[in-house]
Amino acid sequence: MNGGVIEVRNLTKRFGRVVAVDDMSFEVHPGKVTAFLGPNGAGKTTTLRTLLGLVTPTSGMATLGGQPYRQLAEPVRTVGAVLESSGFHPGRKALDHLKVMAIAARVPPGRAEEVLELVGLSGAADLRVGGYSLGMRQRLGLAGALLGRPQVLILDEPANGLDPEGVHWLRRHLRAFADGGGTVLVSSHLLSEVAQLADDVVIVARGRLVTQGPLAALTKVTDSEVRVRTPDLPRMKELLAAMALPWEQAGPDALVVRSTTSEVIGRAAADEGVVLFELASQRSNLEDVFLELTTERSMA
Amino acid sequence: MRALIRAEVRKLTTVRTGYTLLAAMLALVALSAVATIATAGNAAGTFSLDTARGVRAVFGSGWPASFLVLVLGILGVSGEFRHGTVTPAFLITPHRSRIVAAKLVTYFLVGLAFGVAALVVTLAIAVPWLAAKDVSYSLVHDVLAVAAGVLLATALYGVLGVGVGALVKNQAAAITVAVVWSSVLESPLVGLLPEVGKWGPVGSASALSGGSSTEGALLAPWTAGLLLLAYGVLLASVGTRFVAQRDIT
Repeated sequence: MNGGVIEVRNLTKRFGRVVAVDDMSFEVHPGKVTAFLGPNGAGKTTTLRTLLGLVTPTSGMATLGGQPYRQLAEPVRTVGAVLESSGFHPGRKALDHLKVMAIAARVPPGRAEEVLELVGLSGAADLRVGGYSLGMRQRLGLAGALLGRPQVLILDEPANGLDPEGVHWLRRHLRAFADGGGTVLVSSHLLSEVAQLADDVVIVARGRLVTQGPLAALTKVTDSEVRVRTPDLPRMKELLAAMALPWEQAGPDALVVRSTTSEVIGRAAADEGVVLFELASQRSNLEDVFLELTTERSMA
Repeated sequence: MRALIRAEVRKLTTVRTGYTLLAAMLALVALSAVATIATAGNAAGTFSLDTARGVRAVFGSGWPASFLVLVLGILGVSGEFRHGTVTPAFLITPHRSRIVAAKLVTYFLVGLAFGVAALVVTLAIAVPWLAAKDVSYSLVHDVLAVAAGVLLATALYGVLGVGVGALVKNQAAAITVAVVWSSVLESPLVGLLPEVGKWGPVGSASALSGGSSTEGALLAPWTAGLLLLAYGVLLASVGTRFVAQRDIT
């Protein structure tokens, strides 16, 4: 296992005439939580299922530590996955579900109780999964993923059906896992769900990669509006005209300048001796950024 | 492979389906044994209990109920797709043919177990009843030979079920195929055109269990057993290829 790096390279998957994933490439590194973001139907689930050997790619490849999933010697000890919440027989008890998995995976049987405890389901161990809430199923799914003490966790929309307390709990778990050196790839169609959790983002739309990188860089790139308050509006406007920056009046003594950063405006004002009362970058709402990125691509 | 077989057994014992089908099968077996003894030599196509055929029909009377083992085998595969448990199963064992192989062995063994239970019920009804009627029979030829055939037929039905389940992903469709094949297509064929019908899976299974009243028109038990095994392995290997290539979405 080459450090738990996930690599997707030129991955394409067609279902009949539908292109679900279109020449997608990205990398996910250990020690971080990477959010796999995109609107519904962007190809996230297909990409993850290809990565896990459940779907055969049309072309390209997806590897874990340099190897395709199907060639991993001990897949369960390498990767844990939480996919859709329907991977349970409704008539089977939660503990039995995990024991079946543990036996097939040749994991010590006591591990089933352990992971159930870990996800806070010990009290519901002897209930049939059919009676579980969506949130409990997600927890049970995570318990199954943790059975083999994997180095990589892959989760598809894990926040679906979780209550706020559950989301908080999941966040803590994933953070601790990544801090322990593990690789975490978690998909979502809502940026807000993962904004507080992710270090890196991979954004996709219509089966194609839109952008990837640190979440912080994403906000920087789009940190394009600066609010300026000054007693000398006319000179400020001249300055902006000289720099060819678009602006809007935002009050009697304030402007909002677009396509720039507070550093640029602050320096220019100092050079020209324009007094500033206020200089503030207005972060665009991350959700807007996300929408912009993913819809732009889909109209192209 | 042993771990996978143990996991399959665990899957089966932790849901109700298997127990329900076992209970249903045993009820049918009891009914069938009682009916066979009660009508022996009186109804058309039956043989008197004075004849070897008549006695063997009694001891083999449980086999039609082994159709439920076929159903259990189908559910054992298609249920995984229906409930999505195939996802964790394939994540744990990415070499899917190993899972199908484990299921084939498991359902063969489960079929044997069901066959033993069916024989116990048959014997519990037939032995005292035949004794009361002063019917004499040969333990080796009439009981053990028939019992071995019933056991093998039931076990191979489990294998056949796994094959059908692997081939036809949709659960309802798979069971419909099995029911229509055995009761609408093949069973009448065995009766109407025995020369053709005896080569089918149902014809082979009835030859193997040796209790059929149409004996003589059927294949020799050993041929029938091998043929039935061949059907199971053929279906399963084609089914395995299907399962291996299927995208689990």
